[in-house]
Amino acid sequence: MNTNSTDNRKTPLYKTHLNLGARMVSFAGWMMPVQYQSIIKEHETVRSKAGVFDISHMGEFILEGKEVIEFLQYIMINDLNLLEPSKGQYSCMCYENGTVVDDLVYYEENPNRFRMIVNASNIEKDLKWLKEHIGKKDVKITDFSKKRTRLAFQGPKTDEMLQPLVDVDLSKINRFYFAHCFIKNNPVFLARTGYTGEKGFEISFENTYAKDIWKDFVETGAMPTGLGARDSLRLEACYSLYGHEISDSITPVEAGLSWLVKPKEGIDYIGKKVLLKQKSEGTERILVGLNLIDKGIIRENYKIFKDGNEIGFVTSGGYSPTLKKTIGLGLVKKHYNEIGTELEIEIRNKLLKAKVVPIPFYRNV
Amino acid sequence: MDYEFPNNLKYTLTHEWVRIEDKQATAGISDYAQHQLGDIVFVELPEIGMVFEKGSNVAEIESVKAVGDFIMPLSGEIIVINENLANNPELINSFPFESGWIIKIKFSHPSEIDELLSAEEYMEIIRNEEH
Repeated sequence: MNTNSTDNRKTPLYKTHLNLGARMVSFAGWMMPVQYQSIIKEHETVRSKAGVFDISHMGEFILEGKEVIEFLQYIMINDLNLLEPSKGQYSCMCYENGTVVDDLVYYEENPNRFRMIVNASNIEKDLKWLKEHIGKKDVKITDFSKKRTRLAFQGPKTDEMLQPLVDVDLSKINRFYFAHCFIKNNPVFLARTGYTGEKGFEISFENTYAKDIWKDFVETGAMPTGLGARDSLRLEACYSLYGHEISDSITPVEAGLSWLVKPKEGIDYIGKKVLLKQKSEGTERILVGLNLIDKGIIRENYKIFKDGNEIGFVTSGGYSPTLKKTIGLGLVKKHYNEIGTELEIEIRNKLLKAKVVPIPFYRNV
Repeated sequence: MDYEFPNNLKYTLTHEWVRIEDKQATAGISDYAQHQLGDIVFVELPEIGMVFEKGSNVAEIESVKAVGDFIMPLSGEIIVINENLANNPELINSFPFESGWIIKIKFSHPSEIDELLSAEEYMEIIRNEEH
């Protein structure tokens, strides 16, 4: 096992993680903590109390200019008319064929300035895609990914644990809204968003405050939580992960994200034609929730069968610490997506029984 | 990291441990291996009576994050499997050398025992892997 790769970038908290006994893994070009002591323990603590995550590997861009909204309306599938200053929005940028460049959240600081948070593995691709499509529009993009640190503070007790540290009334910040405020004396961007299915915040600030703010968070009693639990938490909550449920070969409609595809009358946004057609007529493949009936663990790319015929594949799978059983998401041919449909999943050349179940498996937001 | 390497056991390069008991052997995965896998949530065991060559992949150990192979440390017949692991796979994490054992083997080639690693040799290999 290679834990010392020098080719990977390190977040400002790299040494802090090592001192906490984290197991570091290479992820999207970064050395990141996959777990500190136990993925299950970290997962359960986020579900019952709170956990703090280093998500500095993610990308952070600022888009400025008089035509930012017009630009985003053209490149995003969600509708920015639903946005207002101090609010964020989840969206995808798609190719003309409807498959996904990236899924992301952008926040409206003001109508001429947006903050965008993107997947770590897509930073370069996104920057290129965005810049290619600006054309003559008055939009300037600045990449702050390496200059800023991003943390997530997630769990049912987040508000009461975090409130004493901040100079804003957290109860006034609704889901997907944000504020610029101070944690002790350090200025931060703080948004009520997350990827765990629990209440919580995502916080971004200059690298220089990273160690202080991490320490402040851990001292509230929040448990340092690694990428392992981040993945098992998001799978229970059924949040899409780029490269799994959505990708450059899967569209948002196929992945159950039709709600993101907006009509946006008069705006010919990229992917609109294909996605609106898919939304109204349906798709050949549909994302379903899966429970394994037989004993075992399902993982991504395992094949799904019905009566001996291959009808799809697992996009994400694993053990659910909350439900204490094996869960997964899979992309299956239409007609096999009815709740209760019994399917088989191939695990090491054996077919195990599984069932289509309602999703999300768990959400507390 | 500090791992346990009980002196009375033999080890393999693929991170199994073996305890020789007259004509049979008990085997499991090392403390290092269970640490690397993390929380173990499922174990797929072979059937009693099956006969395997040394080096065969005979069981799968699934943690939240990864799948680990369990490699037959000695040629022979599977005579007992640890049934407790079906409901308590986490025993491998908690007690890798005790109640977290995986199989008992009636070994067919006693000479293979000499090819296993001592605790000291195995510890040295892990130290080198870590650094």
